[in-house]
Amino acid sequence: MPEDDFRPDGGLSTAEKYYEDYGSRARELKKQGKKIIGYLCSLTPLEIVTAAGFIPFRIKGSVKEPITKADTQMETIVCPLVRSCFDITLKGNYDFLDGIIIPHACDSITRSYSTIRYSLGLPYSHFLNLPHTAKDISLEFFKAELDTFRRSLGNFAGEEVSDESLIRTSRLYNENRAKVRELYELRKSDPPLISGTEITKVLVASMSLPVEESTELLSRVVDEVKQRKGISPVQKLPRIMVIGAQVDDATLIKLIEDSGASVVADSVCVGSRDHFPPTDITPDPLDGIADHYLRRLKCPRTYVEWTEGTYDDYLELRFGHIGSSLRDFKVDAVILYILKYCDPFGFEVPARVKYIESLNIPVLHLEDEYSMASIGRLRTRIQAFLEMITSW
Amino acid sequence: MAEQKWPEKYPVEGKRGRKYGTVAAMRVAPMVKAAIGGAVEAKAQGKAIAYCFIESNYDEIIRAMDIVPMWTENYAGICGAKRDTQRFLDKADSLGFSRSLCTYATCGLGFDAWREELGSMPPEAPWGGQARPDVMLSSGQIICDPRNKWYQAVQQFMPDVPVYNCAALWPLYEDDIDRREVEPYYVKYLAEDLRGLVRFLEEHLHGKMDWDRLWEVIKLADETTDLHAECRELRKAVPTPMDTGDAMNTMVPQAFMMGTQEAHDFYRDLRDELKYKVERGLGVIPEEKYRLIWPGGLPSWFALMDFNYFWSKGAVFPVESTYNELVYPARELDLPRTDDPLEYMAWRWMRRQTYWWDKARKRPGSEPDVEKLITWIEEYKIDGVVIHEAYSCRSWHVGLLWQVNQLAKIYKPIPVLILKEDRKEVEYRELPSLVLESDMIDISSYSEAETRAKIDAFIETLESIKSRKVEV
Repeated sequence: MPEDDFRPDGGLSTAEKYYEDYGSRARELKKQGKKIIGYLCSLTPLEIVTAAGFIPFRIKGSVKEPITKADTQMETIVCPLVRSCFDITLKGNYDFLDGIIIPHACDSITRSYSTIRYSLGLPYSHFLNLPHTAKDISLEFFKAELDTFRRSLGNFAGEEVSDESLIRTSRLYNENRAKVRELYELRKSDPPLISGTEITKVLVASMSLPVEESTELLSRVVDEVKQRKGISPVQKLPRIMVIGAQVDDATLIKLIEDSGASVVADSVCVGSRDHFPPTDITPDPLDGIADHYLRRLKCPRTYVEWTEGTYDDYLELRFGHIGSSLRDFKVDAVILYILKYCDPFGFEVPARVKYIESLNIPVLHLEDEYSMASIGRLRTRIQAFLEMITSW
Repeated sequence: MAEQKWPEKYPVEGKRGRKYGTVAAMRVAPMVKAAIGGAVEAKAQGKAIAYCFIESNYDEIIRAMDIVPMWTENYAGICGAKRDTQRFLDKADSLGFSRSLCTYATCGLGFDAWREELGSMPPEAPWGGQARPDVMLSSGQIICDPRNKWYQAVQQFMPDVPVYNCAALWPLYEDDIDRREVEPYYVKYLAEDLRGLVRFLEEHLHGKMDWDRLWEVIKLADETTDLHAECRELRKAVPTPMDTGDAMNTMVPQAFMMGTQEAHDFYRDLRDELKYKVERGLGVIPEEKYRLIWPGGLPSWFALMDFNYFWSKGAVFPVESTYNELVYPARELDLPRTDDPLEYMAWRWMRRQTYWWDKARKRPGSEPDVEKLITWIEEYKIDGVVIHEAYSCRSWHVGLLWQVNQLAKIYKPIPVLILKEDRKEVEYRELPSLVLESDMIDISSYSEAETRAKIDAFIETLESIKSRKVEV
């Protein structure tokens, strides 16, 4: 833990501080001469960024900040989360960035690459091309693409990114992910020991920190929450799982919990999607990293091939990890939270609903615009849904 | 507007106001109708049908294996042009597909779900309907999420129809990466993935690839592209003999019929027609006042008559980016020699997608898409830029605003006189631009009055700039 870190009583209050003043730690580190690289999306291989000596900083949006500046340069048909991230960055909230990395995630991100890199004018930018399929030849291609990225970042750093440093950072990120899984274990009791709102804030705060600091923060949170054993501040309420793309703002989760439920599980970015699968430590570290981001990270933008079995088997192949979470976290209902203009998730909505309902779990599908303006509408629908499931 | 005497060889049809369109373009609708009806007929005869996407680098493979393509985006476009999409969009909506998704895809999903429910074509389906496929060929490109996800979503209604998702990737332009550095592993990936496609088709359709035939089809397709590129060259003439309104029709053989003799002959005839007109100074309109460029983006298929509205104001579009992305003759691509047709296709795809990279690198602030615009603005003597933002399509439309903004920032070709401290100085200004907003097939997003008011205002801007432009 750095000496200059502000450490109030416990991990949760530190996380709250970093959540509320998002980017404050990165700003401090920048003043100390560190270089900060911003990124969008969970598909950015953080192991490589960290191994090159940079601090990766996840660019997040804000539902509270109206999008104004971005609209002069970016189409309004872009996913509202991407627009919000761009808007906030343009407004100078993340003026400490030395570069930006954008992976081939979705059309909104990919097609905005030029807009973002020219508008921000940062010293470094890179687009990482992930293939859409996870076949063996796709993996081989992706490894070569990761190697190009490694060289490009090494050139910017002025030093080659070695295999040893990649193995070291792969271990660091695995430790971090293990801590998140430990934290999620504390949601399994009924009532859970930690609320969904708290955990969202912790994970969002964590993605603004260097990995070692993030792991340290997570450890403190785990220790603090474990002290609650038997005296959970969370009430026994319907247990909800949230599924969707990136949830980088606790507003939605708080809204669900304020409406009379506990958010106990998720399949979202910044949540279990990024943190549950570990990276294999392989002799050539790029093998493990390529496999992690292309095959283990369950994003709908990566096409899952159907080679055998029935259609139901295919749904299990695609969404089995959701089924596991529904069972492990004893989930009563699912909220499928999809952002408007999100093509990768949007085309999967009926299939996801079919799969979840086949497990006798009710689903509420919400399409949202990532804005406070829609909160009233969301509240009405969530309250009606919770009333429905509690009256069953 | 003065009338121009039209030769008997290419008679004026006057159909639906397309008075000065090419005769070749008028052959397109029957060709498409025949292809769609032909697919339904072929299905009845037991021939293999594949759902396909255009510009996915698999055309020659399909043709060489005698597979009948059903271009699903094209069919949605036809529904749009016939103003018969709402019932299919509503159907998709009722199944849980958001209205904010690609309307080509949701129209197709609505259509397929309905056809599967009925066990026959939906009532009065445009042009006989979309034939049920035996296989579906997705296209996981660098852009277009719907092409990656659409057919997977269709499998909810047609789980018996297998999908092959083709890798048709290309790199995005970077300042610090030379395309030559990454080409080898891109080409290897593309070629291997095409090999996987051939295996998939052989396995599921029980056919065998005839590799000699594939080379023949490739040769025919390359010759077809050469002819199409010649047509684009001829459009540089002043007055231009063909504009974007027509090109949205004449793209059909390039996009949907590559590797067929019919496509080859179509562009040969179009080339001859354009040559004839250029030699005689016959233009789309007799008096061209403004020459415009359409830098990308899909048109509103139900409102192609807006091009006629431009004509009525003396404005023509001699060139467009849409459907021109791959129209570069193979001989210009410096392709490495290979005996493997799939490797050849991979190299050709890669070099076409990176065609403007080297040129863009020479101009600070430029990128391939912007460089292409600048080149064409100069070669086609362009006065203004018109983009159409289709609300439901991120893949072709996001980034257009940036292209136009960046173009204005780095390229100022219009000299005007400015008064500065009692003396006049020449300053260079950017080209004016117009942004139209609607959708490619969702007519509910379109307002004719608003669109035409925007066009009127833009024409006034063009006129004002023209009056201020000085010779230097």
